[in-house]
Order: sequence, then C-alpha cells, then structure tokens
Amino acid sequence: MTLPLATEDVRRRFGTEKAVDGVDVGVAAGEIHAVVGLNGAGKTTLMRLLLGMLRPDAGRATVLGHDSHRAPPQTWSRVGHLIETPFAYPELTVRENVAAAALLHGHDRRHDSGVDRVIDGFELGHWADRRASTLSSGNRQRLGLASALVHDPSVVVLDEPANSLDPAGVVFVRDLLTDFADRGVAVFVSSHHLDQLARVAHRITVMHRGRVVGTLDPDGVDLEQRFFDLVHRYDLEMGTRS
Amino acid sequence: MRAALRVEWLKLRRSRVTLVATILMGLLLPALGLGFYNVAINGGVGALADKAAAFLVGEGWVGYLGLVDQIAAVAVFLGAGVVVAWVFGREHVDRTFASLFALTVPRATIALAKFMVLSVWIVVLAVVIGGVAVFFGVVGGVGPLHAAVVGGATTRLMIIAVSSGLLALTMGYAASVGRGYLPAIAAMSVIIASAQVAVLFGTGGWFPFAVPGLIAVAGAEGAPDLSPAQIGLVPIVALASIWVTTRWWAKTEVV
Repeated sequence: MTLPLATEDVRRRFGTEKAVDGVDVGVAAGEIHAVVGLNGAGKTTLMRLLLGMLRPDAGRATVLGHDSHRAPPQTWSRVGHLIETPFAYPELTVRENVAAAALLHGHDRRHDSGVDRVIDGFELGHWADRRASTLSSGNRQRLGLASALVHDPSVVVLDEPANSLDPAGVVFVRDLLTDFADRGVAVFVSSHHLDQLARVAHRITVMHRGRVVGTLDPDGVDLEQRFFDLVHRYDLEMGTRS
Repeated sequence: MRAALRVEWLKLRRSRVTLVATILMGLLLPALGLGFYNVAINGGVGALADKAAAFLVGEGWVGYLGLVDQIAAVAVFLGAGVVVAWVFGREHVDRTFASLFALTVPRATIALAKFMVLSVWIVVLAVVIGGVAVFFGVVGGVGPLHAAVVGGATTRLMIIAVSSGLLALTMGYAASVGRGYLPAIAAMSVIIASAQVAVLFGTGGWFPFAVPGLIAVAGAEGAPDLSPAQIGLVPIVALASIWVTTRWWAKTEVV
C-alpha cells in the first residue's frame, strides 16, 4: 500500500553538511507521526524534501505516490503545510490572508463561507478584519495554521506548529491534530519540545545529525531522558560528541 | 492563473510601497518638470537655471513636457524598480517563500501573475503621470492648450514612462535570484551608471536601459536618432526578464 507520505533512503547535503543522510520514514492515513530532534537535526530539511521544496541528492521523497519535487499541481490540493514562517501577509486582513491561501490551494469564491468557518474554528473571529501586521505572534501562528489547513487537506505537514502559542494554543493544536487523525488525515509534525506532541502522536521518530537514531514510545515514561539517551548514544558511537 | 492574479492584485493594491511610489511619481515628476521649466523659461541666474535651460527642448508645452520626459526616463525606472524588487523579494525577506511551494497554483504562475499585475500598474502609473502633468501645465499656465501638441507630447511622456517601467521588470529577476530587495537596488545602480556610460560613448541606442532617456531628448540638437530596432529592444528585454524569472521560480528551491 502506498503511504500518503514516505521517504526511501533520502539524502540531501548543503555543501559538506549532510542535512538529511539516508532517512526512511512514512506516515499512514489517520496517523500522527512526530519527528523530534535538537536544532539542526534535519527535521525541517526532511519536511522540505517531502513537500518538494528541495530536491533529494539521492533516494526518494513521495507525497500521495508522486515524487514530491515533481508532483503534479493537483496533488497539492490535498496537502496542507506550515514550514517555519506562517503564511501571513502583513498588509492583508486575517480574512483576506485565509481567502488568499484558499485560492492558492485551489478553492474558489464559492468557499468564502468556508473561510469564515475556518477563521472561527481557529478562534480568529475577533481579528478577522484586522491586518495581520497588528496580530500577536501567537495569533499570527494561528493564522498560519488556518491558512495551511483551510482547504481540508488529507495530508498535513507541520513544522513546529506550537511555536509562539500560549498553553491554550498548544492544547488547541494537540486537539486539532487528533481531530485530523480521527478523520483519516496523515499528519507529519515536528517539534523540539517533547511534551507538546508526545501526548497525541502515534509514533515518534528521533532525528539527530541528519539521521534517524531511534524511536520513542509515545505512551512511555520519561521521554526526555530516553530522547537524550538515544542522541548521546549515537554521538558516542560516531565519536562526534562534543 | 485567475487565483494567482487575484491574490497578487490584492497584495499590490494593499501595499504601502505601491501607494507611496504611485503618489510620489504621479505628483513629484510633473511638479519637478514644471519647477525646472519655470526656472529655465524665466531666465533665472545660477547653476540650476543654466542646467534647466540646457535641458529645455522647446517652449510652452513641448518644453515643459520634454523636461518631465527626461526626469521620468530615470525616475520611473527607479521608482517602478523599487516596487518590482519589493514584489519579488518580499517573500524571501519575510521568510514566507516556503508558503508558495506545495500549492495547486504553480510558482511559475505566481511569478507570471506578479509580472501581469505590475505591468497593469505601470500603465496606470504612466496615465496618472501624463494626466497630472497636463493638469499641472494648465494650472501653471505653460501655454495655450492645443490638443494636437499637448496630446502628442503627453503620449510621448506616457510611452517613456511605460518603457522605463517595463525595463524595471528586470528587477524581478535580480530580486528573485538575490532573494531580497537589496540585490535589485544594487543592480539598478549599476544599470543607471552603465546607461550613462553607454550614452557618453555614443552607443546608448543599443543599450536598452538608455533608450527611454534617448526618446526623451529625440529631436533635440545633437541627440542621436533611434532606430525601430533599438526601440524594440525595450519590450524584448522586458519579455526576456519575465521568461528567465518565471523559469527561476519554477526550478528554485527553498534555501
């Protein structure tokens, strides 16, 4: 069975730096697959490879069965993503930003009511007619999530979705991801804060220095300690611990 | 394409950069032209009066609009270039470029939509400059309003403004490849200096970025004649820059 998101021995260098070095991951429909790692572990590069933002030097990254970097445009109508900086043009209002994202994801004006529904769903109704430049960073992040998900995708890739969010926002994102998975959406999500995602993920992959160095049981105890054990063991084996 | 056009048009309409550039160029260029014209025609004393008189290509409307032509040839390239650089460089500077990947609308279509809305804006800007120039001329009492004379001179002004604006589209490539506005600003400086040098060496006609300036002084004493082929270089350069920029957008990665 073809997984909605998958990589096979995918590799990507930047100069001499191996950003992603032979990674195999997959995300099934209805699954929340979290990837965790320290800063610079390769999480964002892996997500960019899956979204066709980067071409692999070797191996494959696929989305809905297509090589990501040459997937046909219609493929992307089923994919929602937020990588680093949210889609939030400062001169546009919240409503205009979400409507613009809907258009670029292949939705037309007939879905204007859907735009309002998404704005309300992300608790942005109070700011709907305000320019994005006036939003707090947390609400800008909510706007980015609303823009990424306005078209009701079946595959979702989110890089640090809880960035800038207050505790209520973190709970909101966790509920959102759970709801997506319940509806059969494949969710690939990254974080460097274990607590933020471990409670909802079905699978947790640990990346370090561009490689997958192990997995964590989301229901296990003391995830943080086990995460650092995996990272330090890898460094010791490779002789790279500083 | 329709979706990309709607989004890019909305962004351009709402941007302060575009609004400020339109107001500044629409009002300032005719105002400067009228100021210089009055200084030149009233026989003032000093370096400014001498300079203004040297650039005067005639009297009345032809002289006044001729001065606006010469200012517009450079100023529209600079002003429109800043807007073009902003339109193509902003997503890099704001670090939202990744948002334009993995969309149903391909990136090349988004880039083409940016060029299309900018081209419409450039034509609107040229009409605004032409209209305001005529209004200022009437208010400033430049001379009797002969439709044929004023119409011809205003059309020439708008052609110069559109030509300079089209040449400024090349800054879309500079801002894309340079991933920000500043490389495009640097490119504009180099191009303006190169145009000056090309004109000094008598080869300006074959340097497309010097062509609007040469159209502005065409017919004046000592001004070189421009061939249709030389004038034709302007749209060719604009189209070529659109082609290479959209290709770049189609092939590029997020870095």
